[in-house]
Amino acid sequence: MSNTEDRIRTLIDDNLHIEGREPGEPLNHDRSIVDSGVSSTDVVAFWKLVCEEFGIDISAEEFGELLTPSDLVAYLDART
Amino acid sequence: MALGLVGDWWQPFTQFDGVTVVHVDLVRHEVNERAAWAWLDAEERRRAQRFQHIGARRRYVLCRASLRSLLCSALDCDNQRLAFDTAEHGKPFATVDGRPAPISFNVSHSGQHGLIALASRGRVGVDVEERVPQRNLDTLVEAVFGPDERADVAAAGGSQKLRLFLDLWTMKEALSKALGTGLSMDVSVFEVPQTMRQGAASGSFRFAEVPDVTWRLHNIGTERFAAAVAHEDGGR
Repeated sequence: MSNTEDRIRTLIDDNLHIEGREPGEPLNHDRSIVDSGVSSTDVVAFWKLVCEEFGIDISAEEFGELLTPSDLVAYLDART
Repeated sequence: MALGLVGDWWQPFTQFDGVTVVHVDLVRHEVNERAAWAWLDAEERRRAQRFQHIGARRRYVLCRASLRSLLCSALDCDNQRLAFDTAEHGKPFATVDGRPAPISFNVSHSGQHGLIALASRGRVGVDVEERVPQRNLDTLVEAVFGPDERADVAAAGGSQKLRLFLDLWTMKEALSKALGTGLSMDVSVFEVPQTMRQGAASGSFRFAEVPDVTWRLHNIGTERFAAAVAHEDGGR
């Protein structure tokens, strides 16, 4: 598992309530976060926390297209 | 399943300025969920099966079937003739026999509550959020509010802080959804009208980038949930 994956997984465990999944349980990296029952407020907070964690600015429009943890990790690995 | 404004799990919530808002009961109910499933087309069933958890799937299925019933009633068409397409940024619109239908709609759900807004003229957006604590409230306030909004939330004490946050959030979401951008828009770049931040139930709003379009904004929240509707004033 890459370092980026570890950091994203920790952010998800700490900040997103994915229905049917407890923090620390296996994460499906190819499932859309939006399809996981996460509220829109949690998605927005998660966006800002990802920006803080990785020290980069991601526009709202860009983040809206990063639907799965895999998409997000690939984007961050290319940018950081 | 009943057809029209009153159904087995939905009922009229409010009506104003040519906009009808319907409340959808999203509490677990196996009979209703089976009836709702029968209304979905093949693509919608595939979408439903992609949801990881049964709760998220239930909310999608119940809201989608309610929407289909409401649209069939408003457009006087059979369910089989009704389909959906998406505009830029993914905002859905209805088609009948492959042609865009003369009606706007928008759907939002949170917890046990769904809201569907329908308008025969002009674009419409709706947002609902259950009044539950937000674990990252301060981060959210910084992320989504402009300076005057942040000052208003900071001045609110105790439970009023969360209440004002959710009221303002749903108003901004309703506006961005009406415009068709949804979560892809940075909503901190605009602010809810001051009169509505101070408690007015409705007001007018214009985006700086689209100054020739006026939106009517309505705070329709209750004690159980925050909710708002934005509707294009004088839209075709």
